[in-house]
Amino acid sequence: MRRLCYTQTVKEPRAALARAPRTLAATSGESPRDVDVAIIGGGVNGTGVARDAAMRGLRVALFERNDLAFGASGNSSGMIHGGVRYLTYDPEVTEKSCRDSGHIQAIAPHLLFRIPFLMPVPRRRHARILAVLMDAFFAAYDRYQPLKRGKPHTRLTPEELRQLEPGIEGDIVAAMTFDEWGIDGGRLCAANALDAAERGAKVHVGVTVEQIERDADGAVTAVRYRDRHDGRGGRLTTHVVVNATGAWAPITASLGALAPVHARVRPGKGIHVVLDRRVSNYAVMAESIDRRAIFVEPWQNVSIIGTTDDDYYGDLDQVSATTEEVRYLVEGIARVLPSIRSARIIGTYAGVRPTLHAWGKLEDQLSREHEIIDHTAHGAPGLYSMIGGKLASYRLFAEEMTDILARRFSLSSRCTTHRSPLPGGEAEVSPFALAERIGVDAVAARRLVYRHGARAERIAERIARRPREALAVCTCEPVTEAEVRHVVRHEFARTVGDVARRTRLGLGPCGGVRCAARCGAIVAEERELAPGAGAHQALEFLRRQARTRVVGLGPEQAQQEALGIATVRAQLGIAHDEAGE
Amino acid sequence: MNARPRVVVIGAGAAGTAACYAAHAAGAEVVLFDGGPGATSLSTGAVDATPWEQRAAAAATLGLALVAEPLPAEVEAFVTALGCWQLVPAGGPPAWLATESGRLRSARGHDRALLSLAGLPHGARVVLPRVERAEWDADALARALAADPAARALGVALGAADADLLRLHGEERIPAADLAARHDDPERLAFLGARLERVVADERRRDRRVDALLLGPWLGSREARARELGERLGLCVGEVLGTLGGAPGLRLEAARARLLGPRVDLVPARVRSVARVDGELVVRPAASSRAGAGAPTRADAVVLATGGLAGGGIRYVAAEQDAPRGAPARARVPFALSLEAPVRLGVHGEDLDITSSTLGPSLDEVGWPTSAAPSLLESVGLRAGPHRELAPGIFGAGDALADRPRTLLGAVATGLEAGRAAAERRD
Repeated sequence: MRRLCYTQTVKEPRAALARAPRTLAATSGESPRDVDVAIIGGGVNGTGVARDAAMRGLRVALFERNDLAFGASGNSSGMIHGGVRYLTYDPEVTEKSCRDSGHIQAIAPHLLFRIPFLMPVPRRRHARILAVLMDAFFAAYDRYQPLKRGKPHTRLTPEELRQLEPGIEGDIVAAMTFDEWGIDGGRLCAANALDAAERGAKVHVGVTVEQIERDADGAVTAVRYRDRHDGRGGRLTTHVVVNATGAWAPITASLGALAPVHARVRPGKGIHVVLDRRVSNYAVMAESIDRRAIFVEPWQNVSIIGTTDDDYYGDLDQVSATTEEVRYLVEGIARVLPSIRSARIIGTYAGVRPTLHAWGKLEDQLSREHEIIDHTAHGAPGLYSMIGGKLASYRLFAEEMTDILARRFSLSSRCTTHRSPLPGGEAEVSPFALAERIGVDAVAARRLVYRHGARAERIAERIARRPREALAVCTCEPVTEAEVRHVVRHEFARTVGDVARRTRLGLGPCGGVRCAARCGAIVAEERELAPGAGAHQALEFLRRQARTRVVGLGPEQAQQEALGIATVRAQLGIAHDEAGE
Repeated sequence: MNARPRVVVIGAGAAGTAACYAAHAAGAEVVLFDGGPGATSLSTGAVDATPWEQRAAAAATLGLALVAEPLPAEVEAFVTALGCWQLVPAGGPPAWLATESGRLRSARGHDRALLSLAGLPHGARVVLPRVERAEWDADALARALAADPAARALGVALGAADADLLRLHGEERIPAADLAARHDDPERLAFLGARLERVVADERRRDRRVDALLLGPWLGSREARARELGERLGLCVGEVLGTLGGAPGLRLEAARARLLGPRVDLVPARVRSVARVDGELVVRPAASSRAGAGAPTRADAVVLATGGLAGGGIRYVAAEQDAPRGAPARARVPFALSLEAPVRLGVHGEDLDITSSTLGPSLDEVGWPTSAAPSLLESVGLRAGPHRELAPGIFGAGDALADRPRTLLGAVATGLEAGRAAAERRD
């Protein structure tokens, strides 16, 4: 059974976390099941519940159809923000977001980085009054800032604004600053999944649930699943199924023979444009042609332009940005930062928000609140759907869900996910000392420590045993061979694309032309696949990434694309792959 | 008019070099403008006339053995004169090159330093020395190549062996082309030879067969040093097919300099424009070019061998990219020749035209080739008439031409044709 699908668990679960004696009062009389909870969805909500439930002693299995953070979690604006956007119509969301942003800083300090925002007020009718109102608005937001160690806002003169960000143009009467925190959503999901696994959860990546089985009374009994890589399937009995599949939620509900309308979301597509470097010191807010708030932010080692919000009914596994969406964002930012037009776009990404369903509202006004649907009401006891939510409040959402599970299983243990550090958050590691020890440059070490926190030490140990693994596979990011092997072995990565989501390998200006094949070879070796499978994965990654880049093509990147295609043709063959495999 | 026609060739890649060679052979006085490295300088060392994938697919469909196709005699003669490439005989098996990405691929020919596995006896064993360089995981590469169906068909086994080929601190991290340049030094090459001798001796001591040594693209930047090494060791030594921008491109540049040095007047400058003024063609270098190179040059005929999008001869400029603030973007095509000339761009047999979108054409589908069909980024180029004539007296060659497969021998063939036609043209 264990060999049936791709499963990773840690051989020695932490001794200190030995399970409390289980009371099965709630389920007494039921037949024994393989697990207590089967969670569907490897986004931030699914992995968050997996972690919380495993910490409270439940036996957990998590199924992810594509990859951890494949959907909205890994394709957001990359902020644990306080939800300033929601302050006027959803102030509770703002408060909860700020409070939880503080908690996430405490449990994963390595993953967060400060993003100061500038918000210029362009001259128009009543602009000065608008500036006063904004000042008051941000003063209201300041009340929540201490919850997340945020700095209070300031009001700037146009001169001060230009001093901070000289590229800003236009007739501006004032500007506000406010403070937010950035995060890598992919890393956050990986950390939660890793912690859950270390506490005994089974994490299945690339494994889709095909059916949620229910008994004659409608109660959940099992899930049937299939590994999408090798086609092998299986059945796992469970007491509870948690549908944490975000925008996929109605589809997942239908796998349990529920009407999709019982787990309804309003899917809102959002795209982001990635530039080749940090083009500004501060994040800059601007307005789109239809007066939506958009921004360009320095994020990790790139800048990101975001975002759109449009109803989406296409294939959720194939969401991608379009030319129109890219141009809409770039032209909006260019009103404030004209030089953005000549910046080099090296990629785009897209995700679909699972916002709460409402008819007749504009996308931007939809609630970012979350809710848990107990499908007992629909005749399916044991099935729950997590609907809505956002990256910043994932932990709270997971806590609420796990509280329901705790009541169901009569567990006495309380939630501690806001106090126990995520993997890597236990201690601080000096990148400079690490750089010297493992023989990589300081930038590479800094990036490694950003992604893995204290767990960077484990990668350093690998390198100490095999020094050639210190060599860079991807030089754009940079990513060492040891890190690639580490994420395949310990972080559930099964493909080149999975490695990219965890390490940002291949997401730089070269688009993976230099590293995809090498990464594929390593993945194939680690997973004991035929070398051809590694090459096939590499081509699949290159093809998929090329599609995300072409919609934002500029002169330099177009030449890079043409060179990239020539390289891949020479090295691997493009048509050859399709004919041969 | 001069007794000798004056031909200006723009672009010093494979096509431009061939055009110079042909124009000189046809009696012209040749001026070559070299604006810097392009796709040829970045070439990987595989030499093809038709894309290898296309030939492999055709052979598989028809159930036929893959054979090297015949080439025009003048192409073969040019390759011989150039000296840095080696072609396989027509009608025989193709060359089989090992790529750094772990595949075996066929080729019509290759840079002389590359190892073709086709030349090895059945049952041969190829050894890859272990070297601490990022692109070179000898074990993984040997495993990947050994698993390739072509390796089994050729009856070639591959394996890795311990070696100590680097000499100086930091050589693990320098670019492969720099390492290749260090092996131009005979003393350093002797060091490499001695170290490889040890590898072979170690393997044979363990009763392991060694018929060939496969190395990274490190064997010389001015000339292929593979044969010298092979003679010293008494076996085949050669490189893998590396990624773009490696040693084969440098060796090609050196071979080009040797070939064209006595034949052309070289101007190291980019060209700004080609125009017909009072019935004469005038070629103007870019203003930023070196002093002395700025004067316009008169020509009887011009060959545009400026490369495609990859080489920089065609530029992609999205319509809104340089639009003034607030102004609507122009409804123009996003591709342009990198210099001004009275020629037309086209793709798929049609002129590139004004689009009905103020932001130019939708790009969603052009990015990556689907199946065997080339992407728009590979196909866009200059539209030519008979003899590669683009406009009266202006000829096109190589990747700059529309709808041409981007192969080296394809570029050579068009270059020879354009060069000869340019030299023979009389107004």
